[in-house]
Amino acid sequence: MPTEKAIEIGRELAEKWTWRLEARQPEPNRLDIVLASPADLVPFAVGLRVQRIGWLAAISGLDPGPESGKIELLYHFCQAAAIITLRLMVPRQGAVVPTLSLIIPSAESSEREIAEMFGVTFDGLRATGHLYLPDGWPEETFPLRKDCTPPALAGAGPSVN
Amino acid sequence: MEESPKTELFTVPIGPQHPALKEPSHFRITVDGEVVTDAFVRLGYAHRGIEKAAESRNWVRNLYLFERVCGICSHIHATAYCLGVERLAGVEAPPRAQAIRVLVAELERVHSHLLWLGVAAHEAGFDTLFMYSWRDREAIMDVLEGLTGNRVNYSANVLGGVKNDVDAAQRDAILRAIDGLEGRSRHYLDVVTTDALFLQRTRGIGVMTRNQAEVMGAVGPTARASGVTRDVRVDAPYAAYDRFPIMRIVETGGDLEARFVVRLRELFESYRLIRFLLDNLPEGEIRGRMPRRVPEGETISRVEAPRGELFYFLKSNGSDTPERVKVRTPTIYNLTSVVKLVVGHQLADVPMILAGIDPCFSCNDRSVQLDDTDGRTRVWTWEQLRRYSLEVEHGRSL
Repeated sequence: MPTEKAIEIGRELAEKWTWRLEARQPEPNRLDIVLASPADLVPFAVGLRVQRIGWLAAISGLDPGPESGKIELLYHFCQAAAIITLRLMVPRQGAVVPTLSLIIPSAESSEREIAEMFGVTFDGLRATGHLYLPDGWPEETFPLRKDCTPPALAGAGPSVN
Repeated sequence: MEESPKTELFTVPIGPQHPALKEPSHFRITVDGEVVTDAFVRLGYAHRGIEKAAESRNWVRNLYLFERVCGICSHIHATAYCLGVERLAGVEAPPRAQAIRVLVAELERVHSHLLWLGVAAHEAGFDTLFMYSWRDREAIMDVLEGLTGNRVNYSANVLGGVKNDVDAAQRDAILRAIDGLEGRSRHYLDVVTTDALFLQRTRGIGVMTRNQAEVMGAVGPTARASGVTRDVRVDAPYAAYDRFPIMRIVETGGDLEARFVVRLRELFESYRLIRFLLDNLPEGEIRGRMPRRVPEGETISRVEAPRGELFYFLKSNGSDTPERVKVRTPTIYNLTSVVKLVVGHQLADVPMILAGIDPCFSCNDRSVQLDDTDGRTRVWTWEQLRRYSLEVEHGRSL
């Protein structure tokens, strides 16, 4: 399937969704679809998969900063050069998002990574232990959040050239 | 009434100081007799927090950080990063630089595949093949060292282009190495598809069908050995792959033998492309101007590493430091898919199946200067090397 066709399908799905979802095209080969609620995630991912845009290349976590009170999850689906990203904002505290691993098994490792790095709970994820962090890692410490500044990073300091 | 005897399953812990894979990961294999009934993987023993560290270094310094994500495919990480940052900054590297990036990437693929061939042969107990393939790999390491000055972390890339041009002498050296390797690779392809003892360890072992590979999310040669036609170089050409296209190599066997054949056939395609690149390198500059601050925005950079699709997500907040860099390496997808494959196999096949995906190892680096006048070899300390680089770059003596 060519890149343009994949972008067109993604746009079509976003327009005719139960709730109209915002879709923007930051680059010619990318389409960002902003999901209104975690409940949209699984149906939309199934929709993309049915339309054969089902290659979940990665899930990125983003921290817009502690003052926002949010964490953003980005699900990147690829087909040819097209990248359709489902963007989902969740609360910083106590966020629960349905797991995609029940329909896309390879999502499991990405979700476990985000769970321990950003503190988002994935409902239905079977393996919940640490994947990368050590066993004795302190509770409620999520290293990729912006307000997590371990002492080891202090030496890195401001950029010098 | 007599109770029926309860079957007790035995769990074999392998790692994290891995005796076979030279990689710190931990596998917990549950066996019933010799047959694997379950497998579990635990990672993180080499987790260095690079994504976090990137958020406190500027765009230029991060290039050196990301080149060190992997000791084997260092160039492809730097390439993915550079392509993304350049796109954010609205800078396009000159055509000659893009072609040199592809040239080094394909040389790196050759070195990586030959390294894997040796490791996988070693796992099968075929140490002669291991020794031969690693000896041949030295030819590529020498070429890369001649081209960039380094055997492992080549530092071929800079933001906006590449560091070194290719001159006539280097071109001849590369062609000589490729000519030699092509015959050797043909021999290896012959060996891995005909040697009866070796085939007992590979044919029909660790079979992953096309459907399984697609659903489990396998990438790269592991997926292409199962008939999945996914290759970023073809699907979404980056750098100079649009002007210098590569042919996608796909096999349908899905077993270990197919994974050997795919990688060996990819070597020939790399040799072809390297020759074509050297004959048709675009003329011109090798570096463009790159701003220190990168405008606000997000981009995604996908490239085909020797092990499969490598994914970079970059977000800039308009400063000289990235807001977020997310890296998804091919091995994590391949490892989680292959762990599910070992169920039902003999325990003795587990190392081969794991090695079959080419999990990413680290290589030892070295720094040796050969003094031409008296032929003595000296090993430099890190500080000496740093001073030397400053002297060369800024023409100043410290």
